[in-house]
Amino acid sequence: MSDRTCIPFGPQHPVLPEPIQLKLELQDETVISAIPHIGYVHRGIEKAAERMEYTQNVFLVERVCGICSFIHALAYSQCMEDIFGIEPPPRAKYLRVIWSELHRLHSHHLWLGLFADSFGFESLFMQFWRNREMLMDIFDKTAGSRVIISTCTIGGTRRDISDEHLKDILDTVDKIQTELDKTIPVMLKDYSVKQRTVGVGPLSKEQAMTLGAAGPVLRASGVAQDMRQLGYAAYPELDFEPIMETAGDCYARAKVRSRECYQSLGLIRQAISQLPSGEILTKTKGKPKGAAICRVEQPRGELLYYAEANGTNKLERLRIRTPTFANVPPLVAMLPGCELADVPVIILSIDPCISCTER
Amino acid sequence: MQKTMLQNILSNMVKKPATRDFPTEVRIPEKNLRGTIEFHMENCVFCGLCSMKCPSNAIEVDRATKTLKFDLFQCVICGSCAEACKKGGVEMIAKYKSPMYSKPGMVVQTIPEAPDEETK
Repeated sequence: MSDRTCIPFGPQHPVLPEPIQLKLELQDETVISAIPHIGYVHRGIEKAAERMEYTQNVFLVERVCGICSFIHALAYSQCMEDIFGIEPPPRAKYLRVIWSELHRLHSHHLWLGLFADSFGFESLFMQFWRNREMLMDIFDKTAGSRVIISTCTIGGTRRDISDEHLKDILDTVDKIQTELDKTIPVMLKDYSVKQRTVGVGPLSKEQAMTLGAAGPVLRASGVAQDMRQLGYAAYPELDFEPIMETAGDCYARAKVRSRECYQSLGLIRQAISQLPSGEILTKTKGKPKGAAICRVEQPRGELLYYAEANGTNKLERLRIRTPTFANVPPLVAMLPGCELADVPVIILSIDPCISCTER
Repeated sequence: MQKTMLQNILSNMVKKPATRDFPTEVRIPEKNLRGTIEFHMENCVFCGLCSMKCPSNAIEVDRATKTLKFDLFQCVICGSCAEACKKGGVEMIAKYKSPMYSKPGMVVQTIPEAPDEETK
């Protein structure tokens, strides 16, 4: 038809923290179709991993994504532990859970803030980001760095958390909980927020499964799948249920992530109460040969690492599949039929991390 | 309007800003902060362990000429060198490096000379 227009959305757009381009075909104000384009922040990390040594790669893969750096290091370390045939000590496993849940919590805070910003609720954005600062301080205290914490390594962790810092973490967790009790109801019960999110960007259970959605997007569409159920690190010893919503719209995705914040708080408390004492690092030896796959749950969904070692001190191949890559086809399916003004909200609802996607 | 948000709005009106008043109020660095690395060349035996462990190739060691070069801006402050060094030649210090006008590149590390009393 002649009155259709094509609008390039991104790669530079006020709502997008990272560059992705969507070519939107519009009929008046309604989106007919969307074509995604990526490739603006490709850094060649997979290739770079082939010319560095095993332990050096931990610092490299942490830089795939700044927001969930620890979980990338965890996935890579678990892959390499499989290849080396070693098991990390129990204390290291619990420390890994504590740090990954803190990372999940801080990532969800970041997302809740950005999501509020995407529909113009800037004061709520500020509230979430102020709370997030408490978590950054905890990373600073326990790991010595705010963002790329570099505590995970092959065979365990590089740092231990002292009793004093464990108490600090518990205090912060309590504080975060009281703050969340104040801010989450605004996100979930406010009339104007509901007007912008309920029924926007729906994704049915069948669509989510056939298009291969991952993480909160999948769980908001009624599939209770969480990679933490696979039982890596100390998760088998902790009690938790995957969080699930059935509506499949932007509101359900916000609700899943809000409830996951509380779940993470619970998991941190459990992990600290059960934290065993002892060693934190198993030494690695030799030049292994073999391949391993590891799947872990990132704040955005399932993260897959495949590593292949060929008997030298360098990897033959490293393959990383990140959750945003899996969530782009569902995003393209969500957009047709929505208003142009809802496009930023829908894009933000999958929590896009383009640096992860392109590596 | 939710009661919770209203509470927040009212308390924010009387509360101090959440941010720090930076130049006058400086954040105290944490004890085990990974701020920057410092070389103690008097302890260095030029074994090259730090350079081998460095993931960003920020350290170059030449055994023959007994020199150690370090690029401050290539360093990712992971602390691998400080962990690897058995002689106490590298130390992680809890202080961030200060900004510079230009990148110094690879700089040869030397033993700091003791201040000479007479020339003072």
